[in-house]
Amino acid sequence: MNSDSLVPASVASDSIPTMPQPPAVPQAQVRFKGEEGRLLLLLPSETENDSALTWMEIWQQLKQRLNSGERFWQPQTPVHLIARDRLLDGRQLQDIADALSNAELQLKRVYTSRRQTAVAAVSAGLSVEQHSLLTHLNQTENGQALAEPLYIQTTLRSGIEIRHPGTVIVLGDTNPGSSIIANGDVLVWGALRGLVQAGAAGNASCMIMALRMEPTQIRIADFVARAPESPPNQYHPEVAHVSGGGIRITRAIDFSKNQLTNDLV
Amino acid sequence: MSRIIVITSGKGGVGKTTCTANLGMALAKRGRKVAVIDADFGLRNLDLLLGLENRIVYTAVEVLAGECRLDQALVKDKRQPNLALLPAAQNRTKDAVTPDQMKKLVGALAQSYDYVLIDSPAGIEMGFQNAIAPAKEAIIITTPEISAVRDADRVVGLLEANDVRRMHLIVNRLRPAMVEKDMMMSVKDVQEILSIPLLGVVPDDEKVIISTNRGEPLVLAEEGSSLAGIALNNIVRRLEGERVPLLDLNVPDDLFSRVRRFFKGSQS
Repeated sequence: MNSDSLVPASVASDSIPTMPQPPAVPQAQVRFKGEEGRLLLLLPSETENDSALTWMEIWQQLKQRLNSGERFWQPQTPVHLIARDRLLDGRQLQDIADALSNAELQLKRVYTSRRQTAVAAVSAGLSVEQHSLLTHLNQTENGQALAEPLYIQTTLRSGIEIRHPGTVIVLGDTNPGSSIIANGDVLVWGALRGLVQAGAAGNASCMIMALRMEPTQIRIADFVARAPESPPNQYHPEVAHVSGGGIRITRAIDFSKNQLTNDLV
Repeated sequence: MSRIIVITSGKGGVGKTTCTANLGMALAKRGRKVAVIDADFGLRNLDLLLGLENRIVYTAVEVLAGECRLDQALVKDKRQPNLALLPAAQNRTKDAVTPDQMKKLVGALAQSYDYVLIDSPAGIEMGFQNAIAPAKEAIIITTPEISAVRDADRVVGLLEANDVRRMHLIVNRLRPAMVEKDMMMSVKDVQEILSIPLLGVVPDDEKVIISTNRGEPLVLAEEGSSLAGIALNNIVRRLEGERVPLLDLNVPDDLFSRVRRFFKGSQS
């Protein structure tokens, strides 16, 4: 019984123009990072990116990450805000502090390279450290090792884009119109209906796993594929991986056995 | 505690204003004091559906500018004194108002009304942001079509990001005959994607067009005269906490559709 099911790799790559996808830039989204008993809240840089995010977008990303990560945080965990070169005023800093305290986290300290942000933070009663670009943090971001996995416990709605320089795990569905771009693997414990890219930095041995694989489009490194025209009658948990020059989908129960006997690309 | 509910959808033309008018009227008929706000500045329609267009003197814009008091702008319905409408301006655009101003208006209304229903415009831009800013609950209206559901999904995501957690779904303009023939999405298909609690299902009904043109909400017509009217009244009962079973909208049974349903059931 043939366990592979997908549009054959050759057909898929003919009909979809290969699009060079920029690697998941570590600073492109609002991120939480655990470090020695405290949480770092990293904001994307304003000047290093071509398309810098507006406050509204930053705010929405912050709310999404807060809503989807609540189960693992201990109450009253201190949070250090790494604002980088972002300009923030008193009202915005207060909004961030309020959103964090609604999730039982405490904003303790602000790291910034902008004088205005530092002044606003001090006026808001927060302790501040002002640097000219935190080089040591940047170095770990550009390193080869993946960041720790991002664990999201919510259904990803249309219009939401998650970029992460590591593996992404979703406890919930990803709806059509949503996209996940990960440097590592992507695991969806639910229905994968949106767009997913694994190995976004070029690693073609990354995989995409889902309980129900119904994607609009999946990408692994530079390979692109779409789901077959006629959906299967029944859905089984499946793994998408690169093999034989294209993306193949294998049933999860068959996949681990294949891994033991074959060499992956 | 007053209930502040925004009625929104993302997609245009799916029935937000119709539902706002009818739900507001039905709640008022049950004795609740209801204020409905038209947040569609520049393309206002709520006044037309309620038949109150020629009684508008002041709009929300004048209230915010301090040119009149709030109670002077509120249009009280002569048929149903429990219902009041705060009209939008027709000669301005969505940028005429800010989210903070909307919160102020709604805050003032919540003092004297049991329900404040906000009729949101289509889209996700400033008009939508204004409409959801003061809301504590949301009713999402969608039709059983892929584009409407996709847009509704986007809107649900935006509402969640705005801390509006209490959401209700109305599937509007359902055609049971087409669903039966697998030509239209079913309510279950819609819920599969949106995953928010179902408040009710309203079937497609010609009488809605007539009621719109006459400016007489469907729920004012004789009890049971239209399926959509019954559905809307049931929705209001559910909103108030009653357990009301969904209407049986299925087409009359015949052997062929029963056989078809049997085979569909064994496949899923």
